[in-house]
Amino acid sequence: MYSSALKLRDTAAYILALLLLSGFASAAEINVGANVGNVPWEFQDAEGDYVGFEIDLVKEVAAKLDASVEIVNIPFSGLFSAVQSGRIDIAISSITVTDRRLESVAFVQPYYDSAQSLTVDSQSDIASLDGMRDKVVAVDTGSTGDIWTTANTSRYDFAEIRRFEGIVPAMLDVQSGRVDGYISDIPGLEYFIRDKPYFTVVQRIETGERYSMILARGNPLADQVNDVISELKRSGFVAQLHRKWFGSEPLPDSSTVSVIDRPLSTSVGGTDAGFVQTFLNWEVLLNSYPLLLSGLSVTLMLGAISIAFGLILGLFVALVRMYGMRSASIAAKVYIDIFRSIPILVLLIVVYYAPPFAGIELSAFTAAAVALSLVSGAYTAEIFRAGIEAVPSGQFEACRALGLSYRHTMTDVILPQGIRVVIPPLTNNCINVIKDTALASVVAMPDLLKQANQAQALEANPTPLIVAAVMYIALLWPLVIMVSRLEKRFRQEFSQ
Amino acid sequence: MTAIVSIKNLHKHFGSFEALAGIDLNIKKGEVVCIVGPSGSGKSTLIRCINQLEAFDDSSKVKISGVDVRQDETARAEVGMVFQSFNLFPHITIRQNIVLAPMRVQQLSEQKANAIADELMRRVGIESQADKFPRQLSGGQQQRVAIARALAMGPQVMLFDEPTSALDPEMVGEVLDVMRDLAVSGVTMMVVTHEMGFARQVADRVIFMDAGKIVEAGAPDKIFDNPEHQRTRDFVNAVLQY
Repeated sequence: MYSSALKLRDTAAYILALLLLSGFASAAEINVGANVGNVPWEFQDAEGDYVGFEIDLVKEVAAKLDASVEIVNIPFSGLFSAVQSGRIDIAISSITVTDRRLESVAFVQPYYDSAQSLTVDSQSDIASLDGMRDKVVAVDTGSTGDIWTTANTSRYDFAEIRRFEGIVPAMLDVQSGRVDGYISDIPGLEYFIRDKPYFTVVQRIETGERYSMILARGNPLADQVNDVISELKRSGFVAQLHRKWFGSEPLPDSSTVSVIDRPLSTSVGGTDAGFVQTFLNWEVLLNSYPLLLSGLSVTLMLGAISIAFGLILGLFVALVRMYGMRSASIAAKVYIDIFRSIPILVLLIVVYYAPPFAGIELSAFTAAAVALSLVSGAYTAEIFRAGIEAVPSGQFEACRALGLSYRHTMTDVILPQGIRVVIPPLTNNCINVIKDTALASVVAMPDLLKQANQAQALEANPTPLIVAAVMYIALLWPLVIMVSRLEKRFRQEFSQ
Repeated sequence: MTAIVSIKNLHKHFGSFEALAGIDLNIKKGEVVCIVGPSGSGKSTLIRCINQLEAFDDSSKVKISGVDVRQDETARAEVGMVFQSFNLFPHITIRQNIVLAPMRVQQLSEQKANAIADELMRRVGIESQADKFPRQLSGGQQQRVAIARALAMGPQVMLFDEPTSALDPEMVGEVLDVMRDLAVSGVTMMVVTHEMGFARQVADRVIFMDAGKIVEAGAPDKIFDNPEHQRTRDFVNAVLQY
């Protein structure tokens, strides 16, 4: 059994690990997490098989250890918590060794010397980093490209950094012109654009970074893997992988051929990370707090705008549906049905990626607000309709019999009753809209979830995600309680 | 004596179904008229046409104190209506239910409207319920509130659409007592009802309707004891048997 999670002394993590491991078929199986799509390191070939430099390497390592390999597809920013929690034994994805990451996870000896690169649209006149002044830069959330770009923003006067979950969505936005350049690991980029002449790598950015695999701290498997990698370097296997995937010989003194020591954490303390140290790390919390707060404000802003537009749209659609001409009423119903059946994530991607091809530029925020408002409007329309229809026709008749005007009928009798009926489901809808804002992180929106993801990748620790979860709960729990109270109160009032 | 309500050649269709097939009727000031007849005979439709809750055919005419209800919307405010299902406003108190229309429609001050409400609540015996909500009252109490609410507008005629049909049997009496008091005090009333005892006691005139037409009308004794038409006889025999 290779999982380090078994060694965790903390009871909670131990039980968690047992639950996870209970599903394993064989003791000699290594679970490997990889950000699949990260060419040429780990990706799927035409047959759907996982291939790549690091896939070949980790399979060879496992073979030498008489173990089989199970590949799990996990986004880059989620790899660190996945090894820490014991969900996977090893993570690969051209992960750069950094001091901060060494505080949270264990690395084996690196096997590739890398650098960053700036990629732009071939049509653009940007020739180097200096051309990126006041331009928008794309990076991968929490990657070394992200870290380098963030640290050098003032030096190069970047206008904005947008964070993506991988090379494909980022390059789509370079192509559509939403972002001006993409800063990312050079080997992946050169491989990705080898058959795409409309992209150009215009600058190599020397960072002295080296790639390696990560494991949980204290996992004895790390030393075994490290030894096997030494052996594979000596035998020339790693160099052969370089030739296979890059078509060239590795440099003679590079980490691809030289056996080197395992990088170890310089910080004091035990090698074994406890549950609290991992999931509720106070230092990580303090470091990531500003980032999380900025994410929270974007989430609130996006939620508030989508709720407001959804309400207006919903009321309008409900009135058209109930009192409009037949054709308009049918159109309203079609709108309601379509937007209640489409998954928000799908709509979000369509709204974000489709308009640029028609020459319409929507910012990530606008695209997310449009998608969320459209869906919220459909739900809100049905809520308003139900609310107005819930007021018995006898109430309208009593008003007419008393001679009340239409305005007074609505303001004094119908709306006060209708609003009581719709407030609980409307509040529920608000809760859903705010939760759905988290989906906007797929279109590079710096919302709470996105920032938490970035923070957990930067810190190589899942605490920011836990804090984000607490923030979501703190935000939504009062609303949930309010819904139950209102529902109870109105139910009592209407039981005549 | 001039007619408070004057109905001429009243026809009403629901699609191809003729609910009212030519009604002619005049109600005098202070008169109490009970309308009886089998279900679906058009009784309720008739009084709902009087205050325009139902539209009716163009050739027909309904006048309140000489004013055509279709030409002058304000004529409707001269007609008070009490519904089978009360239709009180559930979100406001008893007092607010009663003062709402006088304040909004007649622009009375809150003070004046409250004075009227106090007087009417005493009259129907619910003065102690003023600040409660409708759901806190029994059905009989709610229907008395509904009567007070309609009276608060000072209507020239009060319409009652089966006012005791939705009540538990033990509450029917308290509502009929209030209606009898109104009748005695000279309020002009049209009452659609199945309470034959009430009709016999209180009505000046009983109208028997069937299939959208007035079959027979006259003093209660004549209709109940000595009806002219076979259909009236059948109906009276059927309802008085038990």
